[in-house]
Amino acid sequence: MELDFSILLKFADALALGLWTTLKLTVLCVAMGTALGFLIGLARASENALIRIPASAFVEFFRGTPVLIQLFWIFFCLPLVLGVELSNLASATIALTLYMGAITSETFRASLRAVGREQMDACVALGLPRSVQILHVILPQAVLRAVPTLLSNCISLFKESALVSAVGMADLMFVGQNISNNTARPIEVLTAVACIYFIIAFPLTRLVTRIEGRMLRKLAA
Amino acid sequence: MTAIPQDAALVRITDLHKGYGAHIKVLRGLNIEMKPGERVVVIGPSGGGKSTLLRVVMGLEEIQQGSVTFAGKPYISAEGSKTRIDTEQRKKIGMVFQHYTLFPHLTVLQNLTLAPRKVHGVSRSAAEDRGRAILARFGLDAKADAYPSQLSGGQKQRVAIARALMLDPQLMLFDEVTSALDPELVAEVEAVILQLASQGMPMMMVTHDMWFARNVASRVIFCAGGVVVEDGPPEQVLGNPKEERTREFIDRVFHIKG
Repeated sequence: MELDFSILLKFADALALGLWTTLKLTVLCVAMGTALGFLIGLARASENALIRIPASAFVEFFRGTPVLIQLFWIFFCLPLVLGVELSNLASATIALTLYMGAITSETFRASLRAVGREQMDACVALGLPRSVQILHVILPQAVLRAVPTLLSNCISLFKESALVSAVGMADLMFVGQNISNNTARPIEVLTAVACIYFIIAFPLTRLVTRIEGRMLRKLAA
Repeated sequence: MTAIPQDAALVRITDLHKGYGAHIKVLRGLNIEMKPGERVVVIGPSGGGKSTLLRVVMGLEEIQQGSVTFAGKPYISAEGSKTRIDTEQRKKIGMVFQHYTLFPHLTVLQNLTLAPRKVHGVSRSAAEDRGRAILARFGLDAKADAYPSQLSGGQKQRVAIARALMLDPQLMLFDEVTSALDPELVAEVEAVILQLASQGMPMMMVTHDMWFARNVASRVIFCAGGVVVEDGPPEQVLGNPKEERTREFIDRVFHIKG
């Protein structure tokens, strides 16, 4: 069998539409998931066990189970529990947001811990009240420290969003699979799809490396 | 500012006990009376409790027993298993640490103005004017908008001193502030401290630099095993110690220094 990439040209519009869906879903879930992760990260750093333990349980559950199963669970079980039908966009968004929340909460928690004990000593020596310590010293440093890892989390989510094709969302992966089934050209089509993911993810990973270096230098003081 | 009676102690530390856990005792009944205007240098072997002493006076540590008064009023006391710290009293004391502890996400000027603005409600412009004036005094005017990561160790430490001075402390604590510096940067930091000393700023410091101790101190305390072993003018403690343990320590330090 000879490889024929020219067939892809016929499906350029469909692939573009799939990519658009993937990007929309990723941006939506990154935004909501990161906000959720920030709150859960704070909850996990709480001294109050009633706040800390449920937050930890949530994170461990979502980190310890396959995203694909989470997706199916929300797609099939949530309508049963809630008694409402969810569109596949809604269930995919919920699932990936919760997953992203669990992952980024770990990023935030680690960066909170990385703000050293000595910074707290300096705050006390300057007489800063707790609220100023948190808002002006600890959180800004923690967020800056978190930026490179958060970008990595975003890139991961962008790629893992391909799983939503399993619940019938017409994302880039879903479109690719369809074309490959209809044309019986899986190698050409899936290679092309992989290239599209790569073309978007690669510059972002390079950006992460550059930002990481800058952040580390800045926060090394 | 409340006037301090001439005969009253600025800091009175009474029977101070401090440990970590059940078995590690760092301070074992330490007594120090520091008068206004004194510059006390604490020397002694590592693990002898010098830095812990300064951290206690800054109100950074829990204590197990004893009390500290500041300017004639109660400041820190051990009550049962709790340590009571008067945070209003604590605001009158400033501290500079070995590792600078500047806020890395803020510029030099923002480092200086954060506490005056957020704690004392000073306006931004007034705080910045004051900050620039102190920076100028320390030869750092050009660095106001730099981030700490863009400074040398000596510059960072001078900024840390400037930051503490923004709050008009009545006592400055210096905890091995030149120990982390490259040798050629030590002098610029010590010069700033000597400048403060010449202006009558009361200070208590821990240093390993005996030359500097002799230059800056009005009084030297040799601390070992969590207690004060010898306490007197620098000529005595550094030059002609009365206690055998002090003598051994001084001999060893100067021997190492060659």
